Amino acid sequence: MRVGLRLLELARERRARAIFVVGTGKNVGKTTALLAIYEAACRSGLRVGLASIGPKPRLRLHPNTVFITARPLLPPSPAVEILNISQLESSSGSLLYARTAHGGLYDLAGPSSASGLRAAVEEIAARSDVVLIDGAIDRISTLASSNGAIVVSCGAAAAKTESEAVCDVATLTARLRVPAFDPHAGILELEGALTATMAAGFIAAREDRQIVVGDSTQIVMNGRSLAEALARLRIRCRRAFEVIATTVCAVAPERSFDPAAFLGAVADATKLPSFDVFAGKEVA
Amino acid sequence: MKALDLLDDASADLLGFDWLVKALAPVSPYGARLFSELVPFRPGNEAAAESRARRIAEIADGLHPDRVAAARSLLQQLPDIVGVVARVSMGEMLDDPAFLELRQFCEMLERIDASLAASALVQPIANEATRAVSESLAPGRNEADGFYLADAFDAELAAARAAYAQAQAELNAARGRENESVARELGRDEIAGNEFIVMRSELRGALPAGVRVVREAATYLLCALEYGESCRSALERREAALRTVAALEERARLSLSSIVSEHAAGLGAAAGALGELDVTIGAVRFTQRHRCTAPVVTGEPVLTFEQARFLPLEAELTVAGRRYAPIDLDLRGAAVLTGPNMGGKSLALQTCGFLALCTAFGLPAPAVRARVGLFDQIAWLGTGLQERTGGLLSSFARELLGLQEILARSAPRLLIFVDEFARTTTPHEGKALVVALTERLRERNACALVATHLQGVAAAAGVAHFAVRGLKGIRTPPAARNLHEALEALAASMDYTIADVSDDDVPVADAIALAELLGLDSEFVKAAYRALSQ
Repeated sequence: MRVGLRLLELARERRARAIFVVGTGKNVGKTTALLAIYEAACRSGLRVGLASIGPKPRLRLHPNTVFITARPLLPPSPAVEILNISQLESSSGSLLYARTAHGGLYDLAGPSSASGLRAAVEEIAARSDVVLIDGAIDRISTLASSNGAIVVSCGAAAAKTESEAVCDVATLTARLRVPAFDPHAGILELEGALTATMAAGFIAAREDRQIVVGDSTQIVMNGRSLAEALARLRIRCRRAFEVIATTVCAVAPERSFDPAAFLGAVADATKLPSFDVFAGKEVA
Repeated sequence: MKALDLLDDASADLLGFDWLVKALAPVSPYGARLFSELVPFRPGNEAAAESRARRIAEIADGLHPDRVAAARSLLQQLPDIVGVVARVSMGEMLDDPAFLELRQFCEMLERIDASLAASALVQPIANEATRAVSESLAPGRNEADGFYLADAFDAELAAARAAYAQAQAELNAARGRENESVARELGRDEIAGNEFIVMRSELRGALPAGVRVVREAATYLLCALEYGESCRSALERREAALRTVAALEERARLSLSSIVSEHAAGLGAAAGALGELDVTIGAVRFTQRHRCTAPVVTGEPVLTFEQARFLPLEAELTVAGRRYAPIDLDLRGAAVLTGPNMGGKSLALQTCGFLALCTAFGLPAPAVRARVGLFDQIAWLGTGLQERTGGLLSSFARELLGLQEILARSAPRLLIFVDEFARTTTPHEGKALVVALTERLRERNACALVATHLQGVAAAAGVAHFAVRGLKGIRTPPAARNLHEALEALAASMDYTIADVSDDDVPVADAIALAELLGLDSEFVKAAYRALSQ
């Protein structure tokens, strides 16, 4: 099982040019999943671009990789091609776009705002076949304007129990996969976010129109509230996202789950192709 | 631009100083630095002020606005190299982004020079230093128009990089072989990442050689693949090759930095000239957009102009689709201005002040012709100053204190605009105060325009009297009480011309006619006319 290649194939089947890897929390194997896709894309001969929402320490990059980094983080050697100095800023300093001429260790850095990330992804996409983004849920609206796919990573580091981890990833993927609205059916369009209080009101009022938000990041609910709202209301998005897979990381310094059982449970709960990059397994 | 003590904040606000600053603002960091330090010309520097304004007006005449816009667009894109030049002159080695900025700077100068070549008055900025730096960095240009520390920068770089690439390929191959071997032994397609999981249930016998257990659990082992001997020696060769590349890249950067350092003075001069150009181009754009002309700058306290406009209001009216009526005035020393309500007295004062400000900064002024003096202080007294409420002082007391402050400063060359001073006290005493003030201003040889509704001030103070002509017959008020239509009707009926009426010192207010035009009921208007006739 070549996990990186499978994830890349799933994205390319949907003609996605940007793959956003997001996680249910920290240390859930996002970077491992991203690097697996990166390696597969490089081996496939694609021109790969890398972006990140914040500083991402030292990755070993192959030649001809386009990436965004902060000026102070750029190592002197091996020298890279400086493509453009951006007006965007990051917590590590002003940002620039570069392309590796040789393999080496490089830091990624990126803008913290969604609009900045969107601009960075567009700039990198113009110079590469596929852009891989180490992202965060609250910046995922960047994808709304691009042809992108989402991989959701989950793991033992972000939950106290296996069932909690499974519930978290199921909730997150359910939220991200809220479908696009039907323009021919009745709609109730919301200007801002859909909260649990609002959803409870709509349920009480037996609202049967489509409740439309801009994108699923504007659905501000989790857990039981979200499950109930999705089950009892017709929640829809103006801009839907394409979630293609989940990845699991069963081990963390503080706890670990049984890898096979965890992978199976995640696949079952999300109904998505699920991968364990560490074990080289897939459950479809 | 710094008003310094030419203007206090409140007067600056009324006379459109901030608007002027925005309208002139440069677009490059070089221009911004210079612009922030610009100070007004003071009396005695008339020739310099006029010369600057003339030069700007001549460039504006000779350069098509499209070229000005193109030059500004290029100026806007200029990277700021001032810090880079400072660092390199102190012996610092520059990094690759700095080389890109320097090359972009030098190349952009050539493009700016080319875009402005049509004007003989604009001197080219590129110099020997910028050309030398541009040439030395040219091999670093890549197809993306960026910068790469190319092999051409050092004779040994190409070979060292090839050796590094070869060493990296050998390491990749060695690591790949180890990885494949372990994957095969474990019955997997690949080992992805630094750490991987081996399920105990799938393990047949011992772990393959080179696999280290990081953590054991009941059902799995978390493992890492260690470097084998062939990998370690490939790694050592790659690290050695990288050290050689790093040393040569540093040598190339030092060599380029030294070239930049040699030309630091020339680069600094170009940066300075760019600042001047940016500020000038900002003024040229202002001149073209607002149809300004260079004033004659005189050593006398005068403000004489034809068809002058107060640009902040003109801009507002243009947006609203309304016409602006320019004014003429020949103000020499102190004078009184009377006229109807809404006849533009305050605007006339603002127009005078705006022209004086433009002249003080050596700018063409928004008038067909202008003859303007330079002043040590431009002040405003009376209505319009931000009204404060509360406190111990009445508005009248605040006016008096304001006047005291202006007089105490004793600016040798004072330009003052007085708008309905003492309007909040009794007309009798108010007039006395206005007369006294006007006399004092005349005695001080100040240039002053005193707007008032009070009768007989000009004659009593012995100064010229100007008046806004006022309503040319009263139009029928609009049928519907629509304020916008009433204002349109008022504007159409109003003659904003300012005439010298020294021989006919009877101010006209047209106040009752205005009340009618603005929709007050006819009974009220009739009653007002009756009262007026008694």
